[in-house]
Amino acid sequence: MRPVELFCWHFMAYPYLPDDFDEHYESGWVTVPNRLWDRERTDGLYQEYIDQLVYAEELGFDGYVLNEHHQNIYGMMPSPNIIAAALTQRTKRGKIVVLGSLLPLYLNPLRVAEEYAMVDSMSGGRLIAGFAMGGGPEAFNYNIPQPQARARYWEAIDLVQRAWTEDGPFRHEGAHYPLRYVNVWPRPRQLPHPPIWIPGALSLETMEGVAKRGHCYFLSSRTHGAATRMAARRFAGIIEQHGGKYHPFRMGILLSVYVAETDEQARAEAHEGVWYFLKYCLKGHLRREGRPLTQGAGVPSTSVRSYEHYLKNATLGGKQLGDTETWEELDAGGSIIAGSPKTVREKLWSLIEQAGVGNLLIQFHFGNMRADLARKSMRLFATEVAPALRRDSAALFARDYPELADTPVAGAA
Amino acid sequence: MSAAVKTRTISVAGHAVEIAEAGSGPALLYLHGFADVHGASSAFLPFHEALAKSFRVIAPAHPCCAGSDEDDDIETMDDLAFRYAETMDALGLDKVAIAGACVGGWIAAELAVRHPERVTHLVLIGASGLEVPDQPIGDLFWEAQPRNGADYSGMRRLLFGRDDAPEAVTLFPDSRGDMGRELMRYKTMRFASRIGFNPPYFYDRHLRRRLHRYGGLSLVLWGEHDRMVPRAHGEAYAKELAGAEFRVIAEAGHSPQVERPAETAALISTFLRPRAAARNAAAKAKPAAATAKAKSKAKAKPGAKARTSARRGRVSVSAKTGRRKRPRR
Repeated sequence: MRPVELFCWHFMAYPYLPDDFDEHYESGWVTVPNRLWDRERTDGLYQEYIDQLVYAEELGFDGYVLNEHHQNIYGMMPSPNIIAAALTQRTKRGKIVVLGSLLPLYLNPLRVAEEYAMVDSMSGGRLIAGFAMGGGPEAFNYNIPQPQARARYWEAIDLVQRAWTEDGPFRHEGAHYPLRYVNVWPRPRQLPHPPIWIPGALSLETMEGVAKRGHCYFLSSRTHGAATRMAARRFAGIIEQHGGKYHPFRMGILLSVYVAETDEQARAEAHEGVWYFLKYCLKGHLRREGRPLTQGAGVPSTSVRSYEHYLKNATLGGKQLGDTETWEELDAGGSIIAGSPKTVREKLWSLIEQAGVGNLLIQFHFGNMRADLARKSMRLFATEVAPALRRDSAALFARDYPELADTPVAGAA
Repeated sequence: MSAAVKTRTISVAGHAVEIAEAGSGPALLYLHGFADVHGASSAFLPFHEALAKSFRVIAPAHPCCAGSDEDDDIETMDDLAFRYAETMDALGLDKVAIAGACVGGWIAAELAVRHPERVTHLVLIGASGLEVPDQPIGDLFWEAQPRNGADYSGMRRLLFGRDDAPEAVTLFPDSRGDMGRELMRYKTMRFASRIGFNPPYFYDRHLRRRLHRYGGLSLVLWGEHDRMVPRAHGEAYAKELAGAEFRVIAEAGHSPQVERPAETAALISTFLRPRAAARNAAAKAKPAAATAKAKSKAKAKPGAKARTSARRGRVSVSAKTGRRKRPRR
């Protein structure tokens, strides 16, 4: 019996943008001027964000999720491993998910292998190692030519995995990172190595790469519904083509949740933080207004074939998550679920049931949301939503995936 | 499109390369830019058609553009220059006049310094490729991510003198509804990203000090209001290419071949066959037989000049005077 795993994801947004931000700045990314950083108000900000993740451990979450972004106000972790290191000292039980280190941004991927090995060792084997390619903003921030980034990325992932599992020193031959001496100290705590999670946005190439290697696929979409179910089915099909079998813990999804006593209260309390997140944090990323940098001809990371496929299914220049005006629209996209414990429970259950996904990575803090509200939402979730989801999912997965009983829990040391 | 334009696909080192070709006469290898055939237009534009009246215009699409295969082995300009030498081999162009706009001009210059004996005439139109301190090349990739999801005025401002010029709006409309156009732009930028995104940004630090190796004729054309590649780059090219003719085209931005097609094509025609052009002009009033004779002579001319130029090594010709002189060092 293995229930759904519930993770608390913190993006660590910059919460002190001026009220006229939207009027004067075209993006929260890359060009958002760093003179907007307030040296005094930010005293203790990282501390508060770390404390919220420590609180997640106290509430019984299965782990915490961090990720890497640069030169932006959406997520202030240019080095998520620094926060991960802090968490190794403040927590004892939960998994530390870094989702992920942006491999193409590193001169040498061994740096990531080393830092992850340190975090795994310092945490007693609690690391889940995510590797990401970096999106459009990172292409501009770190000058990463996108057509070559994918090949560099996969070479780096395989090199890190080999560096963790094969005795060194060994020589690595490769187009991008040829190395004469690979001999990583320290070695990670977990055997054969920390679980590897790979984010993707539905592209077949990524799913194939993940399936072939036996890693976990994380769907990086912020909208949910039929597309989530379709992604899970597609990934399951690809795993089978590679001779494997899908189970819910091969995949994770990103959800955003705010829980309060009633539906009305949830919307009222979350409103300021959620709309700060939608209008400011997503400006330049998932918003039509301003300068969206995430996907397009300027950051051509996917193959021409994939882009053609994407064009056939997308409405370019159309409304995106950050253009949302009402709670009703948010509800329709399943993007940010705000409501009473009952409402949230039902919506998440329907998603688990339809998609058969076992790793739920949940954002509780939005933009400039007050700490006490984020904590209350997390507490209500942990006490009034999580128990039912765990109970029902364990039964569902036992029925649909009986072989799971024999599968070791991912990330267990 | 003129009915005379033929499009075919050839194989170069195992990769498909789309070639658009029109006209007859001396061969002119044309390497396209962004606001150009293969870059933003699937057809020849009035500029290419004007040139095709006097020349056999051969325009390959860069790897990944139009019908040319993408090639993962192309990571730098060095790889691309080598691929173009192979393309010239495949086309049977031993020695040829080369014209290039923007990134195509950069490729043309790289070919000229690597294979000076194979380039009879070099025409650069708003060419990138040089590093000029404090005169940065515009960020086309940034503008390829349109404001508010569909506003390409920033891209038009980089590529044209006026962002509301009809030809600018035709090639880069404020819309992403047309899938063919969006895909063409994606392919063009994916090509450009390979060699121009980094490192460094659309230039080769070594190119400037190599330009002296090219001893042939050169014409450097620049739009008066080029905001993509500042005019200082054109001046730098003209300074380092011995005997180069430098012409600024009024009321044009980065794409004079689109903005002032007749004038740009005329400057190139005159440069490629100065004497023939003069004779043609004189022959206009005369019977058709005399014109035909002048044309057939002109056909042979560039090739003959190229042979002389190659034999003499670094000896170059001033386009203005037609007299030979030693290159400046």
